[in-house]
Amino acid sequence: MTKILCVKDLSYTNSRKTGLFSAPRTFVLGPISFDMVKGETIAIIGNNGAGKSLTAKVLAGAIRPSSGSITFITDETSQQSSHSHPIRMILQHSSSAMNPALSLGSVLHNTLKLNTRLDEAQRQEKIKETLKLVGLLRDHYYYYSHMMSDGQQQRAALARALILDPKIIVADEPFAALDPSVRSQTVNLILKLQHELGLGFVFISHNIGIVRHISDRVLVMDKGQIIEAGRTEEVLADPKEVLTQKLVQSHFSLVERHASLV
Amino acid sequence: MALLDIKNLTLYLDGPGETIKALEKVTFTLQEGEIKALVGESGSGKTLVVKAIIGALPEHWRVKADRLTYKGQDLLKMNYEQRRQIMRREIAVVFQEPTSSLDPSVKLGEQIQESIPDEFVTKKWFWERNKQRKEIATGLLHKVGIREHDRWMNSYPYQLPADVSQKIMIAMALASEPRILIADDSTRGMESTTKTQVLKLLLKLNKTKNLSILFVSHDLLAITTIADTITVLYCGQTVESGKVKSLLKRPLHPYTKALLDSVPSFQSALKTKSPLTALSGTIPSLQHLPAGCRLGPRCPNARKKCVQVPIMRSIQGHNYSCHYPLHLPKAGKKDPTDDKFGEQDPIKFNLINPALEEDSADD
Repeated sequence: MTKILCVKDLSYTNSRKTGLFSAPRTFVLGPISFDMVKGETIAIIGNNGAGKSLTAKVLAGAIRPSSGSITFITDETSQQSSHSHPIRMILQHSSSAMNPALSLGSVLHNTLKLNTRLDEAQRQEKIKETLKLVGLLRDHYYYYSHMMSDGQQQRAALARALILDPKIIVADEPFAALDPSVRSQTVNLILKLQHELGLGFVFISHNIGIVRHISDRVLVMDKGQIIEAGRTEEVLADPKEVLTQKLVQSHFSLVERHASLV
Repeated sequence: MALLDIKNLTLYLDGPGETIKALEKVTFTLQEGEIKALVGESGSGKTLVVKAIIGALPEHWRVKADRLTYKGQDLLKMNYEQRRQIMRREIAVVFQEPTSSLDPSVKLGEQIQESIPDEFVTKKWFWERNKQRKEIATGLLHKVGIREHDRWMNSYPYQLPADVSQKIMIAMALASEPRILIADDSTRGMESTTKTQVLKLLLKLNKTKNLSILFVSHDLLAITTIADTITVLYCGQTVESGKVKSLLKRPLHPYTKALLDSVPSFQSALKTKSPLTALSGTIPSLQHLPAGCRLGPRCPNARKKCVQVPIMRSIQGHNYSCHYPLHLPKAGKKDPTDDKFGEQDPIKFNLINPALEEDSADD
């Protein structure tokens, strides 16, 4: 398997002064290190405030890390296209992440305009392709965010991420705000895209059921550190750390109850 | 007798030119000491049901119901004061998104003390009364499993983690020692450890205090853990209701099946990374409700007949509203509880030949 991403000793320190004389409150993330191979899905789980969202933002480049490196390893055989961004992010609430004053078309158009050297015709062509890829219609070009349902907004967010031909998508709780049936649709869409495009997918989730279903590897975070990492089935079957045990057990206690009923 | 009895609750919304039925004939009962789950996606009207019960709907929404009673008293015929009295003391609601339903400018201790009814404070002098209020508030927080009561009582809502604010909302709801607790989407967006804690708390309250709980959610994993009975709503219509066990084992409505299928943890045989079964499309908005069974356009088994609203049928306490239920009883074998079975058109149970089916739907 080809390695596409190498994260090494990534760390970020955030200190906030709370009072004039009190010591500043600091949150230290990392150091985090992990590798990712092509087409792999990595899930990040952990309690609230463990630094999961921060990790996602640092990975996507929204926040500059204090130290460490994120190396994206390009495939030497294939030419990197001029308009490609290797890592793109999907935000948690796709409904509020899209500018309500712009139609989906202009959102996508601006993304291309600001990041690539494509001309107008090529941009339109690219937008058309991307909309089709995520299962939207050509007409959605003219839609504003409030005209779309939850599922369509999630697709729109995916389209915005995919339009720059990323190799890796980082998603912060992409399934949490979705209803069950839309959630299944999104999971299917992501699985399909991953299969077709060989995307790497890093996502944060509370839902251990979905983590088990779609992820290859899982990182467990607590207080800014990765406390446990490994293949999903191994970690879930035999968690080593206390926190992981708690997370896994509480999930499976719910599942067991269901199993006892059926 | 049922504590809360709702029959054919319909909610009309007068729009320009047409009247929309935001809820259509929602029927369920909540027995003493029962935990009932109201399941539905967002837009299915589950929050509207809650609001109709507590009377928090805007005035131009017309509520009609054959029965909407609490302990035999008709809630719709009550005047404002009487109804308010019941809401204050007997039925408590934990609203969606606790952090936004708390007052952001008031410390939590004060908010909790405010929710304690005056009757509970028995002391005479104001300093004694203040002290007693504080004691009751502390007791409430302990009851819901919050140990650092001083810390949280001195903080503002924005400082709270989601699980603590959820627990505080439950504590405030319990302050008046209600008979019914309505928990509206209490486990949304929680990680599994916190979720288990909140569920355990609700279950404990149900067992120790015989508290009836209406658990409104779409988190099926949580629901199967605590609920006794389930009512599934889709787009304002009740599609299926019954005991948790029979619903899980034999969902009769395609929508219920789709909901259950959407939880990967329920299927132990599911291969990882295999596509999940999902209904296509999304829940329609109120302006574009389809005629008849509202699942129609998304339903895999939809046929011509589905433009009429199916009547509610019942098999051994398991109610469903579908023309073509799944897990069909054998054709010709008539169910004693349902005299409509078999005699209308026996062909409808035999869905192997679609051409035949079309014919039968015509007449």
